[in-house]
Amino acid sequence: MKEKVLSIPTPFGAPLVLYKNTWGKSDHSETLAIVSGLHGDHLNGMHLSSRLSQFLDNIVEGGDPNYTLDGQVIIFPVVNLNAIQSGSRLWPYDGMDMDLAFPGNPAGETTEALASAVLKHTVNADWGIILQSALPHYEDAPHIQTLKMDGSIKKLARDLKIETVRKLQPSPQVNLSSHWQDMVSVTLSSGSPRTLNLPQCESLFQGIVNFMQAEGILKDRRKTKSDKNFPTRFYQPENEVTVLADTAGMFLHEVKVGTLIQEGQTIGEIRDLYSGKRLEEITAPADGFLVTLRQYPIVYEKESLATILTTKKSWWDIF
Amino acid sequence: MLSKCIFSVKAPAGPPVEIIRHTFSPSQSAKPTQRVSLVTGLHGDELEGLYICHRLIETLKKLEEQNAVKGEVHIYPAVNPQALETGTRLWPFFSTDINRTFGEKNTRSLVTEASRTLLEDLKSNSDLVVDFHASNLHLMELPQIRIIKNFEKKLVPLAKLCNVDLIWVHPHAEIFESTLGYNLNQAKVPTLVIESGICLRIHKNYCEQIVLGILNLLHQTEAVDCGEFLAEVAPARIVQPDQVTMVQAQNAGLFVKQTEVGQILKEGEKIGDLIGPDQMPEDIRSPCSGLLFTLREHPLTGKGAPLARIATSIEP
Repeated sequence: MKEKVLSIPTPFGAPLVLYKNTWGKSDHSETLAIVSGLHGDHLNGMHLSSRLSQFLDNIVEGGDPNYTLDGQVIIFPVVNLNAIQSGSRLWPYDGMDMDLAFPGNPAGETTEALASAVLKHTVNADWGIILQSALPHYEDAPHIQTLKMDGSIKKLARDLKIETVRKLQPSPQVNLSSHWQDMVSVTLSSGSPRTLNLPQCESLFQGIVNFMQAEGILKDRRKTKSDKNFPTRFYQPENEVTVLADTAGMFLHEVKVGTLIQEGQTIGEIRDLYSGKRLEEITAPADGFLVTLRQYPIVYEKESLATILTTKKSWWDIF
Repeated sequence: MLSKCIFSVKAPAGPPVEIIRHTFSPSQSAKPTQRVSLVTGLHGDELEGLYICHRLIETLKKLEEQNAVKGEVHIYPAVNPQALETGTRLWPFFSTDINRTFGEKNTRSLVTEASRTLLEDLKSNSDLVVDFHASNLHLMELPQIRIIKNFEKKLVPLAKLCNVDLIWVHPHAEIFESTLGYNLNQAKVPTLVIESGICLRIHKNYCEQIVLGILNLLHQTEAVDCGEFLAEVAPARIVQPDQVTMVQAQNAGLFVKQTEVGQILKEGEKIGDLIGPDQMPEDIRSPCSGLLFTLREHPLTGKGAPLARIATSIEP
């Protein structure tokens, strides 16, 4: 149920209010925390949160007799409130990246107070999922990003029915994910900023419902069988290959993100803005899964055009 | 002065994006005694560092003609060129703060390529680095050097040479770990981070004060024999974490300052008014006596926003 978590006065208007949605009780049961809207233009995550909220509301109101809620679910659908209001990625007043405001400070500025509140209300959960889109100018295939790759994460990935799990290197940038390391938590990245991909959201929604059933947070009276053999690929940081532009111009891609590509396959080309001539053909340097692809066509030299998760050193986990 | 482009990428239209390093070195082939690097423009709206570099280049050209340069002085006057051209804090095409990307390995972007190249160039060419910053849009800062507690022993003696009003030793926080200063200090290249003034403006007096301090630093570290350009520098007030009091807004509103940085305040002295949504002004008063070294300039104020910082330490 929608609950006011924090109200912050603004200089001239109505207060800024942070809400969370909560269903079920935490007593002796598993808690799942989901956070979306850390960036104001990550629409897939916000839509997915609202879709889950509608689904869970319906269950607790008795609208769906097939399901009962045995655990607790906490969702923060929107966090970066001012960025969402202004249609931007960052906090518009000072260009602050909300995800870098963690752990926050309850007595600090607005972004710090919001970060502190989100962390306080989620850090004791058993499970955590951050919903995000790709970086600006890119599109991500639905995949899981994680800082650790242990049995719990592998099970989480399998239950979420996400095929691709990518381990990240430790980063000096401290964000919400870094502060969720004591729980089983992942970042689920999909799509492009400023874009809503409804089929992708629906697929991720089914994955999260499946995960809640697998962990006993949600019970389905129909006794459906879980797919324990769902194939999931795990990639270490050294399995990643970044394809860089050797020149600047307009990048036109010929492949789709989320597909397997082969070494030597054409990814796209860069054309000169003045003459229209082809300056460079971009080919895949290795076989692998195209997890990220440049969408915004204007590119500088040395920019990343694609990220391929190579299959050479990866392993398929079926257990 | 020799100029070298250390980073260049072609742009889709218009000139390339380049980071330039200017080097002053001894005319003879003698091995340089000390290598000092000066970096400015990580944030494109912080212009004081550019002016300081301009003034230093003027002086160093004269000193080079007099064979007074004993070591190497490297000046990187505009390390975030596109942000400087647009007057924005962030690298504009990506809306990325380059000073939060040092040491980042997961994301390969133009910004991380630039920060990686700059970091490696500084590490291989410097025994000492000074990174110049102005404040953001909101706060006016008295010329100061900020030092993370872990690096205090090595950096405070160097900071004392720089003619700043204040040396603020503060605790470490995770947010610093992706900054240039932290990464260089971790790599055992002593790096001073100077903060002065406010963005998008030049405070000539502050800049001249720091120029004298940097010339003194170059002289005392034997990188340059500054001769006639050497002036006596004022001792800095060194403050430890428990000697800084921050005044934060307890409500949102318009802050109208009633004093200036550099003032010695008495406890209870008025700093300004905070006019809330109810139009009632709230007196903002100093909770302690001390040196006012940070003051809010941007009137638009959210709850919890810093209004002032006061150093309560005794005189330098």
